[in-house]
Amino acid sequence: MTDPVAVLPAAELPPGARATVEAFGTEVALFNVDGALFAVANACPHYGGPLCHGRIAGTRLPGEPYEHRYGREGRVLVCPWHGWEFDLETGRAIFDEDVSVRVFDAAVEDGSIVLRRRARAESEAR
Amino acid sequence: MPGRLRPRGVTILAALIDCDVHQNFNSLRDLLPWLDPAFHDYVEVGGYTGFQLPNYPWVHPSGFLMGDAVPEDGGVPGSDYETLREQLLDRFDVEYAILTGEDILNVSAMAHPQFAAALASAYNRWLCEAWLPLDPRLRGSLVVATQDAERAAQEIREVGAHPGIVQVLLPCGARSGYGDPHYGPIFDAAAEMGLPVALHVGAEGLATNPPPTATGYPAYYVEWHTLLPGAAMSHLVSLVCHGVFERLPELRLVVIEAGVAWLPAILWRLDANWKSLRTETPWVKRLPSEQVREHVRFTTQPLEQPRRKSSLQAVLEAVDGIEGMLLFATDYPHWDFDAPKIVTARLPEAWRERVLSENARSLYRLPARVPEPV
Repeated sequence: MTDPVAVLPAAELPPGARATVEAFGTEVALFNVDGALFAVANACPHYGGPLCHGRIAGTRLPGEPYEHRYGREGRVLVCPWHGWEFDLETGRAIFDEDVSVRVFDAAVEDGSIVLRRRARAESEAR
Repeated sequence: MPGRLRPRGVTILAALIDCDVHQNFNSLRDLLPWLDPAFHDYVEVGGYTGFQLPNYPWVHPSGFLMGDAVPEDGGVPGSDYETLREQLLDRFDVEYAILTGEDILNVSAMAHPQFAAALASAYNRWLCEAWLPLDPRLRGSLVVATQDAERAAQEIREVGAHPGIVQVLLPCGARSGYGDPHYGPIFDAAAEMGLPVALHVGAEGLATNPPPTATGYPAYYVEWHTLLPGAAMSHLVSLVCHGVFERLPELRLVVIEAGVAWLPAILWRLDANWKSLRTETPWVKRLPSEQVREHVRFTTQPLEQPRRKSSLQAVLEAVDGIEGMLLFATDYPHWDFDAPKIVTARLPEAWRERVLSENARSLYRLPARVPEPV
């Protein structure tokens, strides 16, 4: 299979919607967060939790003791099983950026959502 | 270093630094020359025995102390330097002994904050004047009363400047985990003075402290003693989760007499939970087990006694860098004394030099071996 791959009519994924599709030989969770599209391999690197059921939220950002600074709203995907948090854009875990879930570039082309693979170094655990 | 034959046929294979040696006074009256006069009548008049520290509800029929450690004058074991020298320092060729006191640790469980602080101060001055000058092998742990953390911090800044004082000693029994901001000034002052904070088991369930376990008060001493690592675990987890090690990168912690074999399990749990729950404590930025490896040391006594010697090594090896985290200790003159030769034999050979002496030498910045007294 060669990039890009059309996976879903764009009309089927309005803002706030999510879907799972097959692409590049794996299951991919698709999210439309207020018009921004994200595509993430549908298995948490921890225990394989189905990320398509994950909550999309922000998180308390790393800071000084007792500082509760909330940020990255709408850009953090929380695994529904054990709560590992991932940056939706990079796939990197918030607790350690050396841990990550594979992410894909998603865009609308000719009325379809198309996915492209990223160079492995950008999307996979180092 | 080749083995050397010591008196009584004890062979020591390497330099030995003993990180838990309990010297003691016979009675609180021994501290009177150093106690604030405003509190003399608390000791001289207030109690039938003159012993005002909170005591344990658990006793056991064989006692708390080594059967052979009673000095010739009939005093309390650990109260006589000559006995301690002969039975521990000379017999086992101890290069340095870190003195950790006895029930003075319990001042932090007293209701009266000012009397508690005055007792701690008197003890520290007694330690510096009546014990440390006796032998160049002795080093001291200053004790503070945690009820008034600012006053404790002041005590650390004053007494901590003494060259023979190597750490600040707190009891594991406490009203809350030591990450609680109440204790912040104590850890700040210790870090500022370059002194490790040592947590010694004891005072769990005493006086104003909460029950020693989550199921309340055990009936028997054997239960209480078996469960002692629980409080040490609580403090370790508390210090990590409150970000104390992140806030004070120079701080070092020593956990004394809580055993060591439980460490892999609690670190596995803490690491796993942190990965899932980190947004609750976003200031904890590094993997907890990495923080513990860098900041925390554990004394070996009472070294767990699995049926197979290899089991102990297998368990401990689960903690990366454990050979750099362990400090040898005997716990003289308590009943669960760890004999150096036995412990040495149970440690992997490659760890011995670090565990028996070099980890402690580095932590406490102890100079190379001092000449033996003539």
